[in-house]
Amino acid sequence: MINWLYIALQAIINGLLTGALYAIIGMGMALIFGVMRIVNFAHGAFLMMGMYATYVVFQATGISPYYQFPLAGALLFLVGYATYMGLLRPIRGQVDFMVILLTMGLALILVDGAQLVFGADYHQINIPLLSKNIHIGPQISINAPWLVAFAIAAVLACALYWVVTQTMFGRAARAIAQNPYAAPLMGINVNRVQAVSFGIGSAAAGIAGSLLLPVFYLFPEVGNQFKLKSFVMVVLGGMGSIQGAAIAGLVLGVVESLTSLYWGNEWALAVDFVLFILVLSLKPSGIFGSQRA
Amino acid sequence: MKNWQALVAAVFLFAALFVPLLVPTDYILQILFRVFLFAALGLAWNLVGGYAGQLSLGHAAYFGVGAYGLALFSKLGISPWISVFFGIVLAVICAAMIGTISFRLRGPYFALCTIAFAEVLRLVAKNLPNVTGGDVGAQVPALFTHSATRSFYWAGVLLTAFAFALTAWIERSRFGYYLMAIREDQDTALSVGVNAARCKLWALLISAAITGFGGALYASMFLFIVPDQVLAMDISTEIAIVAMLGGAGTLLGPLLGSVILESSAEIFKTVFKEAHLLIYGVLIVVVVLFMPEGVVGTLTSKLGRFKKAPLAPFAAPAPVAAQEETSRAALNE
Amino acid sequence: MSLLEVKGISKRFGGLKAINDVSFAVKPGEVTFIVGPNGAGKTTLFNLITGVFHPDSGSIHFAGRDISHLTPNEAAQIGIGRTFQIVKPLRNLTVLENVMLGAFLRTSSRAKAEQEATKVLRFLEMEKIMHLPARGMGLPVLKRLEIARALATQPKLILLDEVVAGLPTSEAIKLAMLLKRLPEWGISTIGGIEHVMQVVMRVADRVIVLDHGTLIAEGEPKDVVHRPEVIEAYLGSKYKEIAL
Repeated sequence: MINWLYIALQAIINGLLTGALYAIIGMGMALIFGVMRIVNFAHGAFLMMGMYATYVVFQATGISPYYQFPLAGALLFLVGYATYMGLLRPIRGQVDFMVILLTMGLALILVDGAQLVFGADYHQINIPLLSKNIHIGPQISINAPWLVAFAIAAVLACALYWVVTQTMFGRAARAIAQNPYAAPLMGINVNRVQAVSFGIGSAAAGIAGSLLLPVFYLFPEVGNQFKLKSFVMVVLGGMGSIQGAAIAGLVLGVVESLTSLYWGNEWALAVDFVLFILVLSLKPSGIFGSQRA
Repeated sequence: MKNWQALVAAVFLFAALFVPLLVPTDYILQILFRVFLFAALGLAWNLVGGYAGQLSLGHAAYFGVGAYGLALFSKLGISPWISVFFGIVLAVICAAMIGTISFRLRGPYFALCTIAFAEVLRLVAKNLPNVTGGDVGAQVPALFTHSATRSFYWAGVLLTAFAFALTAWIERSRFGYYLMAIREDQDTALSVGVNAARCKLWALLISAAITGFGGALYASMFLFIVPDQVLAMDISTEIAIVAMLGGAGTLLGPLLGSVILESSAEIFKTVFKEAHLLIYGVLIVVVVLFMPEGVVGTLTSKLGRFKKAPLAPFAAPAPVAAQEETSRAALNE
Repeated sequence: MSLLEVKGISKRFGGLKAINDVSFAVKPGEVTFIVGPNGAGKTTLFNLITGVFHPDSGSIHFAGRDISHLTPNEAAQIGIGRTFQIVKPLRNLTVLENVMLGAFLRTSSRAKAEQEATKVLRFLEMEKIMHLPARGMGLPVLKRLEIARALATQPKLILLDEVVAGLPTSEAIKLAMLLKRLPEWGISTIGGIEHVMQVVMRVADRVIVLDHGTLIAEGEPKDVVHRPEVIEAYLGSKYKEIAL
């Protein structure tokens, strides 16, 4: 009877592994939302771009995504920075909706653009690591790529946390998040910090895409599901809190995994949203949000 | 003040009735049906998103429920038009539940919540094949058997005319005033006795009813529906975009928005073929950058008219919770 | 019979006790001012009376009815009007339309609302600018607009939060004289002013002094102003001697 325990444990471990990648995506979104209150509907498209970029480089050079993901990060940082400076900053004073609308338009452009360039087919890559499994006891096995991705994600999450809490930039970003009117009065170059934040948030999405490439199918709309999940993480994590989003990512991964195990795959995404609605109704400041803004 | 908009629309809608007599092809009539359908849907959305200022990105919920209502009730043997009625009732009930929970939230949180509800409905429809047919889909009875395409077209025009008249009436009424006050500053509205929660809910119920009816029409035109078509976020965003780009909170906005966007989409499909969505995205970005108040909003500002309706920009990041009660950041009561 | 009776209310936010066991009453037709240094809790008190917050303990009665747990719009409906310290005009509407919003509480007819709003604007000497947009108006006009909008709801009690703050003294006094006439309309008035004592002295029938959430003095203006506790609250203990 102890079998069910091992099966559940396996599901939980799988969930944590997936959750780590979710966490990166969520942290990126949380940074953007926290600093600028922008709900970035192009976040998924950025992930997709990172994925395609890594794919292209892989096809050309054979370098594993686990080594070349910084490239995707750099690319998406530039894309994010440029997007903020060129498209979002001009409309900063506008109604919330318009900003959302613009990111939606951008997403359309990127996704359809990807389809034009790469076609609508599903792509995947094959790396030797894929066939390696690590066994813990007779019942639990972990697919190596996921473990590598988990490790990288964990390091990146800590790095991001360090940047946000320990550096001047991070402090400036948090200042803007807390009080966008007072921040410039403190000598903070609000535009630049916001653009960099947007860049970092987008880079996170790009890197997540890169790390996903070995274990996921690649197609133009791949980012959509992650976009919605990142909204869920931001809310669950509370008011743009990065740590909160990270933990929310892990929670989401585990909850999805267990749901798939006991109720089937189809319900996994639905559970995300139900959780989302529950948190919004009962504790809108997020599971990990304090009762402060 | 608003009379020119009402006049333009009235003339336009009246003239539209005669179009089938001039246009021979079903193909074009279908496109025009879509234009008017989304104009009506945009007008319905406008009540909540434009006048009340609550950005709903989950209107597909009501659209889909209306569509599935028609499909499923008629499967039970109920006549099509009665099924439409029940579908609308169901959509309104959904709106009551969704609104009660969602309206307690402000700004982006509200929008995300509406998305979540619509997605849950979509996934439920997908995952209960015994009830809804799941991904395989559900059959929908034909509401019109005689010269179907024309009839659907006229239904679309009439629905738009109805939505338009209703909006115009609301705009002039105390209810409309209250909605706009809620949009501009909910605390001020509360302080003069406006029951904000109730007003927003009513706006949503009316909006959902019209949207549900539109969903039923749409479903009946295609005779077959699947969750990823009628409950998709694409529908929600299309409705919102039509209203916002045309000019949320204006009378003519959704109508104009639909004409421009739906016809552009069709043109792009023929001219740009595979790249049509990309061009559509470019159109959206361009309009947002250069006409942030929507087409009608920008036009009226340029004409120097003083308008009460176009949305005032929200002071950048939303819940900068004022003095004391900071725990109310995302929750409003 | 008091119109408003506040009995032993307290309110804390996290670790801060914003209102500490405050009790007072306002009689119909009276003009009462709540004064106190910044942070004394005046706005919180208003928020408690109008239902934005609810007291942790104690009770508030209005015309005999317990209103401790009302919502803001209910408070307006039963006859409590208020203005905000930071003016909140509806910028996309005209001055008249702004005030009509208040008038709509008592009528659903647009024509009647317009009539009532016009009456109020006339009282506040704003008829000339009735049809101009609220956007771009200067502070004195916006302050009067706040009052007009609240008056249009035909309140029995009106709470004016820092209604002359930021106005040049001449304007403040003009406005205060207008406010002194409110009891003629059957409205009791409470105002929270922190420093423009000239206005308080001229207009108030009674003054209540708050400091750090506690009621430290109450009575007629000319009495209260000289009390040592009041001077200490504003200027610090060094100046207590001035009192005598």
